[in-house]
Amino acid sequence: MIPERYQKYVPAAGMVLALLLLWQTFYAVRETEFVLITQFGKPMYTVTDAGLHAKWFFQSSTFFDRRLRVYNPRPSEFLTRDKKNLVIESYVAWRIDDPKRFVETVGDPVAAEMRLHDIVWSGLSAALGTHDLEAIISPNPQQVKAGQMLDQLAALTGRSALAEYGIRVVDVRIKRINLPEQNKQSVYARMRAERERIARQYRAEGEEQALSIRADADRQRDEIVSVAYKEAEKTKGEGDAEATRVYSQAYSKNPRFYKLLRTLESYKKIFDDKTTAILSSDSELLKVLMRGESAQ
Amino acid sequence: MIEHAKPKGHSHSHSHSHGHSHSHARLETFGGPLLPSINLGPIRNLDSRRALLGLAALWLLSGLFIVGADQQAVVTRFGAVVEPRVMPGIHYALPWPIDSVTKLKVRQLQRRIIGGDAPDTVLGRLQPLASQFLTGDQNILHLRVVTQYSVAMPADYLFRSADVAQLTGAAVESELARRIAQRTVDSVLTTEKAAIQEEVRAGAQKVLNDYSAGVQLASVNIESASPPPEAADAFRDVASARADSVRIVNESQGYANDVIPKARGEAQQMLEAAQAYKLRKVNEAEGDASRFTQVAAEYGRAADVNGRRLYAETMEQILPRIRKLIVDSRGNLDLTIIRKGDEPKAKP
Repeated sequence: MIPERYQKYVPAAGMVLALLLLWQTFYAVRETEFVLITQFGKPMYTVTDAGLHAKWFFQSSTFFDRRLRVYNPRPSEFLTRDKKNLVIESYVAWRIDDPKRFVETVGDPVAAEMRLHDIVWSGLSAALGTHDLEAIISPNPQQVKAGQMLDQLAALTGRSALAEYGIRVVDVRIKRINLPEQNKQSVYARMRAERERIARQYRAEGEEQALSIRADADRQRDEIVSVAYKEAEKTKGEGDAEATRVYSQAYSKNPRFYKLLRTLESYKKIFDDKTTAILSSDSELLKVLMRGESAQ
Repeated sequence: MIEHAKPKGHSHSHSHSHGHSHSHARLETFGGPLLPSINLGPIRNLDSRRALLGLAALWLLSGLFIVGADQQAVVTRFGAVVEPRVMPGIHYALPWPIDSVTKLKVRQLQRRIIGGDAPDTVLGRLQPLASQFLTGDQNILHLRVVTQYSVAMPADYLFRSADVAQLTGAAVESELARRIAQRTVDSVLTTEKAAIQEEVRAGAQKVLNDYSAGVQLASVNIESASPPPEAADAFRDVASARADSVRIVNESQGYANDVIPKARGEAQQMLEAAQAYKLRKVNEAEGDASRFTQVAAEYGRAADVNGRRLYAETMEQILPRIRKLIVDSRGNLDLTIIRKGDEPKAKP
């Protein structure tokens, strides 16, 4: 059958053939991949376990990345239930879950992301449309229902994406909440007004506190001084009373002498060098001067 | 070791399908370039056999690998993970193309910046849209956050997500947006920065665990939080208002601290003075009284003479100092001399 001169090539050719067959039969599935086995273009089954696998040599394998991907839809404006505009930037964590379905419906990740965009956009739009702004942003954490809302959204989006496109949406999350550009100037103006109010309040409160501290200090000072005055006057009064008692006790023993002494004492103080005294020659002192011893 | 046994059997099954005599050739095709050696006859040569055995030994030895002190490794066999975490040391895996070893520097921290890129920071530039966050009280803030992470689960890190850095960044950013949206601008700028950082780290870690990202978030750090330039001066004014307020309160406290001790001192002084006054008055009174009593006793013995003496003594003291006009009681007094006379020596 085979000519003699080609006989020596038979083992080599057989080996090449065998290798080709091996090459076509065995395939390695990595942890990061799903493999879809197709037979003459028709999807047959999916291999999800990593490792070495075998197929018929006439079947072909298509590899799909099964890893979690992040898709960032463009930031879009949504309307809340109370008719406020918000610009929401979200991300979708997704992966291919059913390669057969995936290849039949969308085929490649870029197309898948376009579908995801639509699903997430309508989901977000519906979710935000049923919540007030306070449920999304509020300084009061109890009011914020965004987390709950997103869980529902992820579940909802996930279900439809899986059924339709073989995609598992692991998570949908809001990455950024912002206000539309055209609203920002008014927001800045409001922020400024708010800050100015707060600044005034700080200053006024400081003033209030300072005044009350000063007033309190003044009150304390007055209290301390007046109490001391009271005490001091009381003490002085005691002194005066005691002195008066001592004087009166002493003086009342000889009132006539006291009267004389006190009067003379007063004279010393009353007359100074600006005083002009007009002395009558009849006076007790001058009688002698004027009339001699006889006046006595 | 189990790794040894399994693939060996595997390679045997290969060689069986080819036949014993060609097992060397198989080794050659797998180990070396994929050029089928067509002429197998000379292999019977002893030297060639030795060479082939040597090659086989080398091939088996090529499975040895070293994991460095700061590394961990993952071993996969035909793509499937067989050793998810190989610790530092020397290890063996089956040679190419059966096993494959991926080493990771697990301790090395990787950075991801949210709200602007590193070059922007160097230049002091602000990317308005990338860094704007909305607070719960609807203020816009510019934030720049740096998150650092390392590998927690090498196998997850390598195989579960397409872009770990992007996924980590997205998880941290979403947690950040959520926490900022639940706080007032003041708390973000002042008191709650640390709390936000920790909440974001814990929250994002939980999210990443749900994704099996194999990532350990080391830190989430708010590097800068600033009001938008359009309102920055108003924010600065609040800060200076706060400082002003503190300053005037301090000043008034200073006033109080000055006034009250002074008042206490003054009070003490008044009390002391009063005590002194009392003491002086009483002592003076007692002294005066004592003197009076003694003098009065003597005076009483010769009241007339003593009275006259005292009177005269007093006059001696008074009269030299004053201007004196002496008029005769019987004559008329010309009062004009009072006006004319400057010197107290005038005499009618």
